[in-house]
Amino acid sequence: MLELRSILVKYGKTVAVRKLSLSVNKGDFITILGANGAGKSSTLNAISGIAKVRAGEIDYKGEKINGLKPGTIAAKGIIQIPEGRRLFPLMTVEENLKMGAYLQNDKRRISEALEKVFILFPVLKEKMRAKGRELSGGQQQMAAIARGLMALPELLMFDEPSLGLSPLLRQQLAEKIKEINRDGVTVILVEQNARLGLMLANYGYVLENGELTIQGKTSDLMLDDNVKKAYLGV
Amino acid sequence: MPPAGIWIDALVQSSTYITMAFGMVLVFSILGILNWAHGQYYMLGAVVVFYGVTAAGVPFPISMLITGLIIAGLGMLVKKVLIDRVSGDLYVGAVTLALIFFLEGLASMLFGMQDKGLANVMPGNMDLGSFSVSYQKIAVVSFTLVVMIAMYIVLNRTKVGLSIRAAAQEPRAASLYGVRVDRVSLIVMGIGCALAAWAGCIMAPVYAINPFIGRIPMIFSLLAIVIGGLGSLSGAIIGGLILGFLNSVMTYYISYYSEVVLFVLVIILLLVRPQGLFGAALK
Ligand SMILES: Nc1ncnc2c1ncn2[C@@H]1O[C@H](COP(=O)(O)OP(=O)(O)OP(=O)(O)O)[C@@H](O)[C@H]1O
Ligand SMILES: [Mg+2]
Repeated sequence: MLELRSILVKYGKTVAVRKLSLSVNKGDFITILGANGAGKSSTLNAISGIAKVRAGEIDYKGEKINGLKPGTIAAKGIIQIPEGRRLFPLMTVEENLKMGAYLQNDKRRISEALEKVFILFPVLKEKMRAKGRELSGGQQQMAAIARGLMALPELLMFDEPSLGLSPLLRQQLAEKIKEINRDGVTVILVEQNARLGLMLANYGYVLENGELTIQGKTSDLMLDDNVKKAYLGV
Repeated sequence: MPPAGIWIDALVQSSTYITMAFGMVLVFSILGILNWAHGQYYMLGAVVVFYGVTAAGVPFPISMLITGLIIAGLGMLVKKVLIDRVSGDLYVGAVTLALIFFLEGLASMLFGMQDKGLANVMPGNMDLGSFSVSYQKIAVVSFTLVVMIAMYIVLNRTKVGLSIRAAAQEPRAASLYGVRVDRVSLIVMGIGCALAAWAGCIMAPVYAINPFIGRIPMIFSLLAIVIGGLGSLSGAIIGGLILGFLNSVMTYYISYYSEVVLFVLVIILLLVRPQGLFGAALK
């Protein structure tokens, strides 16, 4: 469904991602792991059209998407839940969710999506009138995911959703992401928390200084000595 | 206690500052720049509406509407042709500063330096018992009220308003969800310039019109913004009210010294609360 072919992302002279190729099939759950500055967010931003792809190509359903505007890419169903939640802090949760559905015109599908969101995150129902910045960290993450779901994603990309959450909340979040994937949404999960990524996903990519170093089934990666040493602290 | 006329003048002054400051804050919260030439859009509003009424013979309200649209177009053009091509706050600031002299010079060439007036638009006074108020001043205050209510509705109840606030609060997230931030900032520039122009139009019958009338309202609106907290829309409104009232009332008591005292008060306020009354964050 999604195919990255040897992409290059640069900011000025800084190379963020180099010669990265990866592919995602419909219904997959993949994870991208790596340390600080490895190029994980840049990869997602390249897919979303926020970061410029300087070389290589990104295809979605056989069609080249790099070079398209972020909104055009989002309209195809490729949705990112950005690092650090990035809720609209002075908007109510309701307005944040409305912003998620910004490109949607079908009222029926929007209300269906909202129902699903409430089933997944019942707390949000009570928080609809609260402003983004008034939510707790966990609630903010839920609202950020909910906003992403309101965009009717086919491919949902999470950028370090577990950041700043307690172990318990992290566990709950993991369940929710699994549920979203089971519901038919293809998932790319970017994590610094390698354990979480490997536990949830079926296939993993490890980035180091912008380059792909290891890839494979997560069940294999968990046993890989390099991965163990560098990312699992074993 | 100053007479009623002073309070009316305070409201009229506040109205100008509010409309101007509101547009400036709107532009600032999206583009991150202060448009130093904002006052010149106010001036152009008065000039264009003057010609609309006197030369073209178009009724004042319709002239006003059209003037707002013309100046909005001009502001958007300036953004596309000049502001967008320059990067860095300092350089953008320099461009809009230069624009002050360009627009004033242009107006001087086309319009002449001498005062003109539109006093015959909306003549007459409304008798309120012990005192009377000119219809012109009533028009200024009610127009401002209507504009602010309209802006509130646009920002809070429409999709365009939602996208404006989203782009101001989290531009990246906004673009991830399909907001064309470049387009939104162009629209906002248009709205800001139209507001300035309309403030100039509605004030045109009250004061004299010449190419330099934009400077004072600009300075006061800037102060209003600083008092209210840079980036806060409600702060711009409160700041405009405070300044308008302080200035009118103090002018009544101490005439020209008023401005000196006013600046000292603003400086004291900023020493006590550097972030302004409303902080910086109410976009
Ligand atoms: N907007 C930017 N401007 C300049 N350099 C950037 C920018 N964004 C990222 N970089 C650089 O690109 C490289 C990759 O950054 P990226 O944010 O993709 O890493 P990451 O894997 O997401 O890291 P983290 O886990 O800390 O979020 C880093 O060297 C970073 O400093
Ligand atoms: Mg990152």
